[in-house]
Amino acid sequence: MAQQYVDMDTLKFLLYRVHDLQTVLDQARYADYDQASVDLFLNATKDFSDKELFPFFREMDAAPAHFKEGEIIVHPQVEKYMKKAGEMGLIAALFDYEVGGLQMPNTVVSAAAYIQETANNHLPGYVGLTNGAAELIIHFGSKALNETYVPKMLTGDWGGTMCLTEPQAGSSLSDIITVAEQAEDGYTISGQKIFISGGDYREAENIVHLVLARIKGAPAGTKGISLFVVPKKRRTENGDLISNDVNTVGDFQKMGQKGYCTTHLSFGDEKDCKGWLVGEANQGLKYMFMMMNGARIAVGRGAAAITMAAYQASLAYAKERPQGRSLTRTGKKDVSQEQTLIINHPDVKRMLLFQKVVSEGALSLVLLTAKYHDLSTTHADPKEREKYLLLLEMLTPIVKTYPSEMGSVSVSNGLQVLGGYGFCTDFILQQYFRDIRIFPIYEGTTGIQSLDLLGRKVTMENGKGVLLLSEEIGKTIREALGIDTLAPYAKQLSGKLELSQEVLQFLIPFVKKGDYQRFLSDATVFMEFFGNIVVGWLWLNISIQAEKALVSGETQYTGDFYTSKIHAMKFYFKYELPKTTALAEILTNKEVLTVAEENSWFA
Amino acid sequence: MKILVCISNVPDTTSKINFTEDDTKFDTNGVQFVINPNDEFGLTRAMWFKEKQGATIHVVSVGEVSVEPTLRKALAIGADEAIRINTIPTDGLFVAQQLAEVVKNGQYDLIIAGRESIDYNGGMVPGILATLLDINFINTCIGLEIEGDAVTAIREIDGGKETLATTLPLVVGGQKGLVEESELRIPNMRGIMMARKKVLNVVEPTDSIRGTEDAKFEKPAPKGAVKLVDSDKIEELIDLLHNEAKVI
Ligand SMILES: Cc1cc2nc3c(=O)[nH]c(=O)nc-3n(C[C@H](O)[C@H](O)[C@H](O)COP(=O)(O)OP(=O)(O)OC[C@H]3O[C@@H](n4cnc5c(N)ncnc54)[C@H](O)[C@@H]3O)c2cc1C
Repeated sequence: MAQQYVDMDTLKFLLYRVHDLQTVLDQARYADYDQASVDLFLNATKDFSDKELFPFFREMDAAPAHFKEGEIIVHPQVEKYMKKAGEMGLIAALFDYEVGGLQMPNTVVSAAAYIQETANNHLPGYVGLTNGAAELIIHFGSKALNETYVPKMLTGDWGGTMCLTEPQAGSSLSDIITVAEQAEDGYTISGQKIFISGGDYREAENIVHLVLARIKGAPAGTKGISLFVVPKKRRTENGDLISNDVNTVGDFQKMGQKGYCTTHLSFGDEKDCKGWLVGEANQGLKYMFMMMNGARIAVGRGAAAITMAAYQASLAYAKERPQGRSLTRTGKKDVSQEQTLIINHPDVKRMLLFQKVVSEGALSLVLLTAKYHDLSTTHADPKEREKYLLLLEMLTPIVKTYPSEMGSVSVSNGLQVLGGYGFCTDFILQQYFRDIRIFPIYEGTTGIQSLDLLGRKVTMENGKGVLLLSEEIGKTIREALGIDTLAPYAKQLSGKLELSQEVLQFLIPFVKKGDYQRFLSDATVFMEFFGNIVVGWLWLNISIQAEKALVSGETQYTGDFYTSKIHAMKFYFKYELPKTTALAEILTNKEVLTVAEENSWFA
Repeated sequence: MKILVCISNVPDTTSKINFTEDDTKFDTNGVQFVINPNDEFGLTRAMWFKEKQGATIHVVSVGEVSVEPTLRKALAIGADEAIRINTIPTDGLFVAQQLAEVVKNGQYDLIIAGRESIDYNGGMVPGILATLLDINFINTCIGLEIEGDAVTAIREIDGGKETLATTLPLVVGGQKGLVEESELRIPNMRGIMMARKKVLNVVEPTDSIRGTEDAKFEKPAPKGAVKLVDSDKIEELIDLLHNEAKVI
């Protein structure tokens, strides 16, 4: 039987029932969709992933994308996948009908992308970046830019990239130095961009780079950064495509995601690289940031997907591998007995349940954030839109970070389930382990996300975001308090919510004193603390829905399915949530050990 | 040409199968249903006729409302209209009678059903249907060409192939070979959206008889443990295959 890499039942249960997709489909923008069509689409995406993605997953790792004679050689499936994804509607899914899009909710598109990423995380990025680049042109670009680039991108004929990073400007984009110089017919671009995903591949008819650069004479820092469309090939007046002096000078060989090329691009070596300004000058970073919520949900989603695929692989192995014997009532093992399956050892169960709570908890977080994204842009009531926007802003750094960080730990546990085989290349776990490791790094490292959460989101509008999120958590707690079997867990979560207030009461005064260094020094610890509580909330919510389904005798899924969700929640509340107590102790400890430029500590 | 593709809604092969009511009923809890693969080969061939030669495709299924997603999928793939006969499909005789009524009312030139459905593997429907309609029938069909009324069909026979010539109207029992697995279509989002606007007629069943009742289902015995035999102990292997597994 083919390897199981995704749990479609859980995905659908979370999407339709726990996060009530109907509330999104009820918005006027999505009038053409109903749950039946969404369901067909998700099933089709699974079939598509079985056929076009999963079979190439290991091959792409074994034969990495690489640089050869000025070109990047990628797996042949990249081109095929791009075209097929275009045909499926996966690139155009989010956009308005007027520009050739399908006006699908982000929540649904996220679910579809998630399925693909569980199948093969090396391929969907090519589509994701093309989609992101097209989105920037559609939202901020001129009519001419739209007409020239978007249709070809939506069909998958042309790829797209995001060119932000430079050797000296990674986390700190204010240090970008790529130059744009005004010319007669637009701008000429010169500079280096590194780590550019999907930056080049031989088969692409064209690649449309969205480049952050500084117009000569622009103010220093973030206020002087503009956004340009810089195609690999530009059109001449008679419509031919000619080289635009965008040169691939190398690539990066990586520990994971090897099929997803990472390139070093050099613009304007021959002083013949043309760029077209997107929107207004000096607004580039602002435009990028407006797309950031979506991009960060996408990265968290990719990590959640790998976490799920690894869980499925570990679980299948544990159900088949005999090793050792269970302890008898005398505390000894009966060696005359046949060996038991490893899934029967409590420690293996613990690892598998850990994988289950992280993978499904992360998925739940991704879907909820995508839902907030949809409602923040489409809800009929402006007040509601504002509320959902604040909730989205709160969750964005968390949805980027929790699946990436905890997913990495979870996949490591998954590898451990296989024992020695986990470390061997014959088995798939080691690939997931290597692939997921990039997720805490790109699209803003965990450190940067944590600064965003504590430094910006917690304090925005005088803490209104935290308040709104606490209210949402409070609603779930109240509902669970009304269900006898869940009430103890509701109380536990309520205690954690209070604990988070205590932590903030300790930290906020540093802002008031102007001691930002101290305020933010443990931002990453705060992220771990707060993310843990948020996922605890999501698990309580899942168990409420499972409990209701059991009580009302629903038969959409089996009784075991619903019971397993409640069991997983209990596992989370026993093994994960209590960790917040230790984290709170760290966060409120008065000793200061990391602030100050004091390097003798490493003597 | 007007084509009717008969579609049954069967459990996905990865579903866990259980029975209830003393092993007399199939337990549908938590089971995912899909288009019967043999019917999907037929539908895909019908799409080929539609696109290359011009044809109208209707799809039909006997079943309750739960079969509608499967019919919608067929519409999303490209069928023009769907018909659902609103009753529980019991046995092959019953289903064939229901389908015969639809064919009589619809004046179809070509009726494609699957050689068998992969749930109960009865393999009766296309044969009985052709008998009830008194028209030509080709079973286990792995190739189908049509020019005007003239049909060339290829059948799989033991160890080889047989090419037959016949005329429309015709009932075909299709299977893999009508098209290859790689040609099966995955509906895209535009197709799915268009499917929402296509007609799905629900018709009430006609009075029909059934020939059989389900008395009991039994699952295959669970697989035994694997036995490892040293590579130099060929005698032992032969003995096991002969006396225990009884395969040689
Ligand atoms: C495989 C891959 C694909 C990529 N794809 C793209 C792409 O398509 N487009 C693109 O533009 N970029 C891309 N990147 C670049 C990626 O976004 C950057 O690597 C990332 O933002 C970190 O920048 P850096 O590597 O320069 O690390 P640095 O910024 O040097 O960070 C090093 C360490 O310092 C920490 N740090 C830095 N600044 C601070 C601070 N102010 N406070 C606290 N801690 C700090 C970081 O958290 C990190 O731990 C990709 C990178 C990789 C590896």
